Amino acid sequence: MQTAPLGLLRDLDPKRVMRAQVGGQDLVVWRASNGDVSAWDNRCPHRGMALSHGFVRGNDLACLYHGWHYGSTGACSYIPAHPDLDPPETIKTAVFSVAIADGVIWVSTKGVAQPAPVPMASQPLRCFHVQARSDGLAHACRTVAFEGGAPEQIEPGLYRLGARRVFVLENPLDEDRIQVTALVDADATPNDCAALSRWCDAVRRLAQTEKVAA
Amino acid sequence: MSREYALNDWYAVGDAQTLARGPRRTVLLEQEVIVSGTTDHPKVVDAEGAAYPATFKYGHVWTSLGDAPRPLFNIPEADEPGRRLVPCGVVRVKCSPLRAVENFLDIAHFPFVHTGILGSEPHTEVAPYKAEIRDDVDEVWATKISFYQPQAAKSAEAGGDTQYLYRVAAPTTAVLYKTCPPKPEAMDVIAIFVQPRTETECDVWPWMALYDETSEYAGLVQFQQEIFLQDRSILENQRPVKLPLDPKMEIPTRADLTSIAYRRWLKSKGAFYGAMTEDA
Repeated sequence: MQTAPLGLLRDLDPKRVMRAQVGGQDLVVWRASNGDVSAWDNRCPHRGMALSHGFVRGNDLACLYHGWHYGSTGACSYIPAHPDLDPPETIKTAVFSVAIADGVIWVSTKGVAQPAPVPMASQPLRCFHVQARSDGLAHACRTVAFEGGAPEQIEPGLYRLGARRVFVLENPLDEDRIQVTALVDADATPNDCAALSRWCDAVRRLAQTEKVAA
Repeated sequence: MSREYALNDWYAVGDAQTLARGPRRTVLLEQEVIVSGTTDHPKVVDAEGAAYPATFKYGHVWTSLGDAPRPLFNIPEADEPGRRLVPCGVVRVKCSPLRAVENFLDIAHFPFVHTGILGSEPHTEVAPYKAEIRDDVDEVWATKISFYQPQAAKSAEAGGDTQYLYRVAAPTTAVLYKTCPPKPEAMDVIAIFVQPRTETECDVWPWMALYDETSEYAGLVQFQQEIFLQDRSILENQRPVKLPLDPKMEIPTRADLTSIAYRRWLKSKGAFYGAMTEDA
């Protein structure tokens, strides 16, 4: 499995926890108080509870069920039912490699995360989920007009929309669901970004409509 | 076959309220059954009209689908004068029936799942207690449990240490005894009767036998329902959905002695409906 884009760092504030998926692996992605991002198997080794329902305490993630703490290495560091116990090292969740590049959270479930190159100086635009296949998404990106003009596809995932370029990163979730992370030229203004964000909405709607029609 | 052992146990499939509303069409161990009649003469039949044994006890209609049902367990406190018997309705949970029972036996989650009611930080420590399989009665018991609770019951006016005792009478039936706030020398009784619809979905019927003459019935039920809805948010997010009986799959600690005994007991009996065994 190659490294997958799991959305924008700016959407995950410190102390926040989210659920994500890479190639069938259920993940908890969370950010410690110090800003570090971790991606783990979404399962507490104690009683199988989804850690994505948990909460951040300092630089630990705590499971919602019994409050067990896990530090950045994925090892259990504290069991509230036995405050004086040093938890055995065997209590550990599977940890995956994370990289932050271009404002995007990248995770690999196999080996070190290697972010895909972004073919321009960029800033984050937005992240969204679409019920469509990859070809349906690309077709919608080529079809939905922006400010009266048709988009031009420069290369796979890269579109020229008027004076701006948008780079569309895909994380396939299953047969027909994609998590999309979109980037835009670094010098795009807030107004550009707002307009392009609306374009993303229209792309998502068209991709889903055409899927229904198909 | 995991269903075989389960067929000869008894299950709650309705209460007086559901009987009053007319026939209840439901699912037990993947089989459709229809529950009707009165509390004096309850009736359980399948879709073809074949009848199953039915009896009304502990506020519920009980039935068994097997050819040789084990005896229905006894809860002697149900007949004690002065207790209020409170059926608490039904909660549908998308989880293994065994995970629902195991959660009921667990105290370490109180401060995190029932925050401010059955537990609160920093009072998280679980003191040593005793859990055992009692071979003479073929039940799991946990005793000598004490835990700090901010509001142990509807009738509690302040926080305090609550004494607990647990009894697993059947794989899908557990009873707990806990200190009764207005009557310290007695113990309240709370049970869950779990109706396994499938191995991964159940209807849970909580039932209580309390010393509480002042609380409104609706308030008592609401208190208990709130607790169970909090539990549901946990139970529907555990993976695997079925209860693993292989100790290597989920790592316990000292506070889990009851759960360890429960899993061992299920394994020794072959009560695998809703469980994951090594060869599964």
